[in-house]
This record gives sequence, structure tokens and C-alpha cells, in this order.
Amino acid sequence: MKESTLALALAAAFAAAPAFGQATVDQKLQILQQEIDDLKAQARKAPPTQPSAQLSWDYSSPLDRSLGLGSGGTNITGYGEVAYSKFRQSGNATADLQRLVFGFNHRFDERLSFHSEIEIEHAVVSSVDNGEMAVEQAWLNYKVSDAANVKGGLFLIPLGILNETHEPPTYYGVMRNQVETRIIPTTWRELGAGVHGVVSEGLRYDAGITTNFDSGKLDERTTGIRSAHQEGQEASARNLAVYGALNYRRPGLLVGGGVFTGNTGQNGVSNSVLKGVSARLTLWDVHTQYRLGRLDLQALYAAGTLGDAGKVTAAILAAAPTPADAFAAPRTLKGGYVQAAYHVYKLRNFDVAPFVRYERIDIKQQEDPANGLLQDPNNIERIKTFGVNFWVHPQVVLKADIQRYATDKSQDRFSLGLGFMF
Amino acid sequence: MSWRPRRSLALLTLALGAVAAGLVRGDVYQEPDAFVAEVFGSKPAAKVLWLTKDLQMQAAAILGHPPTQLRQRYWSDSHKSVWILEEIGKEELITAGFVVVDGRIDHVRVLVYRESRGQEVRYPSFLKQFKEAKLARGDRLDREIDGIAGATLSVAAMERMARLALFFDRTGRE
Repeated sequence: MKESTLALALAAAFAAAPAFGQATVDQKLQILQQEIDDLKAQARKAPPTQPSAQLSWDYSSPLDRSLGLGSGGTNITGYGEVAYSKFRQSGNATADLQRLVFGFNHRFDERLSFHSEIEIEHAVVSSVDNGEMAVEQAWLNYKVSDAANVKGGLFLIPLGILNETHEPPTYYGVMRNQVETRIIPTTWRELGAGVHGVVSEGLRYDAGITTNFDSGKLDERTTGIRSAHQEGQEASARNLAVYGALNYRRPGLLVGGGVFTGNTGQNGVSNSVLKGVSARLTLWDVHTQYRLGRLDLQALYAAGTLGDAGKVTAAILAAAPTPADAFAAPRTLKGGYVQAAYHVYKLRNFDVAPFVRYERIDIKQQEDPANGLLQDPNNIERIKTFGVNFWVHPQVVLKADIQRYATDKSQDRFSLGLGFMF
Repeated sequence: MSWRPRRSLALLTLALGAVAAGLVRGDVYQEPDAFVAEVFGSKPAAKVLWLTKDLQMQAAAILGHPPTQLRQRYWSDSHKSVWILEEIGKEELITAGFVVVDGRIDHVRVLVYRESRGQEVRYPSFLKQFKEAKLARGDRLDREIDGIAGATLSVAAMERMARLALFFDRTGRE
């Protein structure tokens, strides 16, 4: 129907051409364009043939609705990174496809959308390899307005800078910083529901209720609470957590912070020693980014406490296959970093920025001297990183850096990296 | 924290309250037609820039991908022109209006923002960076645009559209 109407209009317009006298081709085309616009306007005013098609045309793309992105459609995003590291002490070197992530996103209508990321780490996933495949995000968002969004599913916790924004071209260094790995366990996601939005110019809030860690699953001694994460995998949900975050953004400036708190004992479902134990975990952070001309500055401080750490230590000892496998549970976690980078060369898409970063990590453990469970020296660490990011495109970056660890010198290394996002 | 239905209900009520407080539709900030009418006082007849092969190639060099449209509607008088453009930020299209006066950007407005994050690009503190911007060598902007943390791709999309608007304006006046 629409096509035939359009054809008639075109025919009428061409038939009327002599009436324009010396009208140029451009003028005729403009008239045709106007005709088409008028017909489109009439079509929009016509009653919809199906109720489901009654979407706001303003919301859909007025320029090319054939893409299907304005009022519905699925799209794919992604990022990945490759790293080469040569270790100073051992002389060994590794090359690794650290991660390849694909995001699948779908818009159901102008308010409801789905977001997901599927991650493959270390290239190969099998029972005899180190690779891992995981759903990093899978959540639905209902947007009432910029100020009010409701979401539910598996989503990232808004603590720190890196946890929500970790595509390789967006951060300095081949490796993610250790503070946002061992204190804030990036990439940290939980199952739950939350609200978020921008309430005034640049001020964003996030709040919600989610699953929490399970202290009974702790099995790594130098990564804080990280190994107790559940990541939406048949998560123990007897104890939940609440979180809140505020971030203020202006061009070149970010200032923000967040807090996450809740019990992690999970009534001893993973470790019976923790039955009836609260083991309350609280993590919080403050962070800032500031760009002054070509100078990029960034700083973050994160801290946390794990209650009933003595009982968690006892639980780890009880679950360890041998006493040598046991370790003292983290009691307090603190860490921070400062970072500076300078864009020394920018031409077209090329952008070269050397950077330096200094990190401090202090994870105090609940010692049990009677059983030989003492503070691990590697939990008190200082890391210096010197390197350069070279963007060959705003979404593709080459990286090189040198890292020096004050305590665990086996981690001193030279690294090269390649990262991308789309 | 143990599971407590009353506490959860209170949180849910709080969440719904927040939603109710935001019951103002914020996705479409201004309809494109209204933006054009605001610039000119009344909406003039649209003109059309046909994207020939040569123009398509130049537009592709600016965008980093071929333009999706074969013709571009615009509105202009002797000094200024208005361009309604669209680019994908991270996942979805951003629709923005650009007013170009004598080869420089007079002002920019985000008309429709569809993504769930990165709305900060619509605020004056970001958009005012484009004021008086013009094309420099290589069809780049004559200035650097400060980004917004967490909105890298939306910022890049806005910058590409600004360059395209200036390029189209220059082409339309040749």
C-alpha cells in the first residue's frame, strides 16, 4: 500500500516536471524529497495496523530505520587482549590470549533492553586446559528515564573504575592493576536487582541487592576475598548483599565511590564450620580521574573487612586436603594506586602516552599460629609500573610496560600487549 | 545479611519509588523537527546533499565506516546550516543536531540517546566543547574534546558526527 502510494507520488512528480519550467535537477529532487517526507508524515499519522508496531517514531532512527536499531534489534560488541610477558627472575616467558569477550545485546522496545557478555579466557577451554568460559554479564534493563532505570540479572558491581570499564583501550598497562584485582575482585559480578540513573548533570547513582561471596569457598591465599566469588554459578543465596555507588562525571573528570556489604557465611552450605557464622564482608572505594590538557591522572583507594575471620580461617583449615594447603583468611583489605600518563604524540588516530603507576596492597590475615597459619608476606606488596600505551585507533591499542614488585620479585616482568574493543 | 522478606520489600518499594520519581520520558530530549524549527524560528524546506561516490569516500574516512545514507537532508540559510546525524556509540544509535555557522559549530544538541549508560554526553558541560570548532587539516577538529569516563565510544561518536557536519556544511556550500 505504502509502495503503491509512493510510486503514484513519484509518477505525479515526474509528470508535473514540465510545469517547473527551467527547474534544475536539484530542485526536482528536492521536491521529490518533500513529497516523500509528506507521505511519510501521513503514514505516521495513519492508525497502526498492528498494536505491537505502535512505537514512537521519534525514538526509532529517523535516518535509517532499515538498521533496525532504533526500535528493536540485536547487536554484537566485543573486546579482547593478547599479552606477552618475560619474567626477570626466572627468565621464562609466556604469551597468552588473555581474554576474548563478545557482547550480545538486544532491544525489545524503547525502554526494555538486554545486555550480555560471554568471556573466553586463555584461548582453550577443556578439562585439561587452563581456559575458562564464563557469562560475565546477562541482565535486563528497563529505562523509565535517564534518572530511573531498573535492572535485573547478572551484572557488574559498581565499585572502582576498572570493574565496569575494563576494555583494554580504556586503561593503561598490559595487565590490569593489582588493587582492582586483589582488593576489588574485577571482573566482579553478582546476581540481583538494582536501580541506576543520572539525577543531575553528571551525577550517577547505583543501588541494589545481590548475591554475595561465600566464605566457605575461599581457596587462594593472596587474592583477598576474590576466590570466594560465586559469579552466578548456583550461588549460595542465604546471605545477600546491598550496594550503593555515586559517581560524578564531567568532561575529563570522574569522582566517585561505592560500598558493598553483606554476610558471607551462607549458613555453612559450602563449609559446615561456618554454619551460623555471619562473616560480614564490607568493601568500599573512592576514586578519581582527571585530565588536564594532555596529562591523565588517576587515583583509587579501596578497603574492606571480613568479620569472623578467625572462624573463616578455621573453616579453611578444616576443608584443606593437607595442613600445608590451609592459609589464614583475610581480615582487613586495603589498597590504592596513583597513576599519571602524558599524551606526548597525537596525530590522526595515533596517540602515544607513556605512564607510571604506583600501587600498594595490604591484606592482613587472621593468623592461627598454633596451626602454623601466618601472614603471607606476598599480601603486603608494592608495585611500580612504567610503560606506554600506543593507540593506533581509538579502539585498538598496543602496550608495553615493565613491572617491579617489592615483595614477590618472581612477578617482575616486561610485558607487551595488544588490545581492542568494538 | 540474611534473607529478610520485609527488608527486601522495603528495598523494592524504594526502587519503585525511584522509578516513579523518574517518570519523565528522557530518551527523546527533543524531536528533530523541533530542533530545526528552534534554530530558524520556523522550519524551512529541507535541502538534500547527495552523497556521490567521492563524498561517500570522504565521509567514510571521517566516520571510519561507509555512511549508511545515500543522501543527507539538511536545512540552511545564507549563514547557517543544520544537520541531524546519527552514529552508534557502544551499542545503539545516538541522534544529534549540529548547527554550523560560517564553517564553525555554533551549538550541538543530543536529540535522542538510546543507550543505558553514557548519557553524560548530552549535558552542556560536554557539548560546549564543540562551540566554535572547525575543521583543521585532515578533516579533524581544530581542538581536542575531553572524554567522559565510561562513555568512551559515545564521546568518539559525537566527535565523528561533529566532523561530518562540518564537512557536509563545507560541501553543501561549494
